[in-house]
Parts: sequence; C-alpha cells; structure tokens
Amino acid sequence: MPIMQRKIRVSDEIPTASLADIAFLLLIFFLTTTVFNEEKGLPIVLPEQAEEQDVSPKNIIFFLVQADGRVVVRRGESEQEQVVSYREVEGILRSELVANDKLIAAIKTDPEAAYRHMINVLDEVKLAGAERISLQVLEE
Amino acid sequence: MAIKDTGFHRKSGAESAIPTSSLADIAFLLLIFFMVTTVFRKEKKRQIDWVGAEATKKIDEKRKNVLHIWVERNGDVYINDRITPYDDISEIVRPIYAENREIVVALRGDRDVPYFQINTITEELQAAGAVRVTFATRLEQRASRPRR
Repeated sequence: MPIMQRKIRVSDEIPTASLADIAFLLLIFFLTTTVFNEEKGLPIVLPEQAEEQDVSPKNIIFFLVQADGRVVVRRGESEQEQVVSYREVEGILRSELVANDKLIAAIKTDPEAAYRHMINVLDEVKLAGAERISLQVLEE
Repeated sequence: MAIKDTGFHRKSGAESAIPTSSLADIAFLLLIFFMVTTVFRKEKKRQIDWVGAEATKKIDEKRKNVLHIWVERNGDVYINDRITPYDDISEIVRPIYAENREIVVALRGDRDVPYFQINTITEELQAAGAVRVTFATRLEQRASRPRR
C-alpha cells in the first residue's frame, strides 16, 4: 500500500465559532475609544488684515462692554449713551435691526473685562439675528 | 379519570436555540461603523471653565479642519499640547493654515480670562490669515426668558 495516498484527517474548514468573539473584542475596543465630534460655539469670521471699511455712522450701533460687565449702548449718530444689563441687548438690537437691516453691531470690550462678559454680549447679538458683527477693544 | 392528552404537552417544532451563525455578521457591522467613526484624541483636555451661551451652534466641520486654541485662566495659551507665547501664535498657525485653507480655529477660553488676551489671539490669527474663528461655548438655557 503506497504511503503517499494516506488520507489526512485534518479539517479543511476555517473555524467560525470564535469569529464572533474576535469581532466583539474589536468592537468593544472601538466603542470605548470613539469620541464623537462635539464642536460647539459661536462662529464668527474675522476681517482680513488691513481690511478697513468706512461705515456711515448711522449704520452702526456700539455695545461698550465695561470691565464690570455693564453694557453701554451708543447709537452711531447720537452721542447719547444708555447703560443696560447684557440681557437687554437682544431686545434693543432686534428693534434696531427692524428699522435698519444694514446695521453693524460693534462690540467694544474693555481690555480688563472678563471674557465671559464679551461672550454674553456676543451671544445676545447672535440671538438678535445680527449678521454684521465687529469685535473691537475699548480704548479710553 | 385522568385526561391523557390536553394538547398542552404537544411538542413544538420551533427551534429553541438562538441562531449564532449571523452573530459575527452583526458584530462586524457594528465594528466597521465604530472603526469608521473613530477619531483618536490628539490632545489633552485642559482645565478651563466654559462660558455658556444661548446661541451656541454645533459646528459641522471635520475634525481635521478644526484647530483648538486653549486659553487657561492664568493666561497660558496651548496649541497642540504645547504652551505658546502670544507673539508666536501667528507663526504657529500660519503653516497650519497654508496646509489646510479650510481650517476653523476653535478658541476655548476660560470664562475669567481678561479680554485683551483674547483680542491678542484674534489679532494673531488675522495676521496668520485664519479668519474663521469659533468662540467655543457651552449651550446654556435660561428658563426665565420667554422663548422666541
């Protein structure tokens, strides 16, 4: 009897019973390492450098953020100023925007004011639906 | 007289074992989903107190297009896990912007940082040409205000 023709008893199938285990192991690894994209905030596009525009004073409204968080509203043309809390900014700007949709909301912040005061006002300006926003530093 | 056959003991022909042959397929499907959505965290989270804002919007931007600039309460600025002096911000951002024009800078500032520091950063970003900026905030809801 020739030796070469002896039948080999090894199974020729790929074992599939442990396949699920391997898959679940990898699955759990990726599950735990996944971080979903959570980028949230107030988007704004800064002007290009050296890009300055002349704006008619009647198309601009200033919100002067003081170091203590109070907001002074100054309408472009008149020198008259009004001290408000930041929560009133939305209402003021909304009614101004109805009268003039070209209005630019300029936020001038005191250099010493906390970042959150400026964000509070920017938040209100965004809520009022202003499209044209300018960020500046308040100079004494 | 005992009732022999009530019908309740009749053998059901249905299989009682959970079919395991498709288990691997389900697992692989989920696996592929998580593999595709996984982005490994590139940088360490820094300790900051977030500012809340009602107008907070989700920024739909691919993660590779977002550059984080962290500003800690003491004024330290971190870009890609490295503390960065204010004067060097534009030098660091310029090559990043040159490589990817889609870049959006997410400015993650502590709520008590003085504004001039934020202003210095935005000026540096303007100098680097990266003008798309997001002031990163947490969504805040004020119950006292009537919904519009």
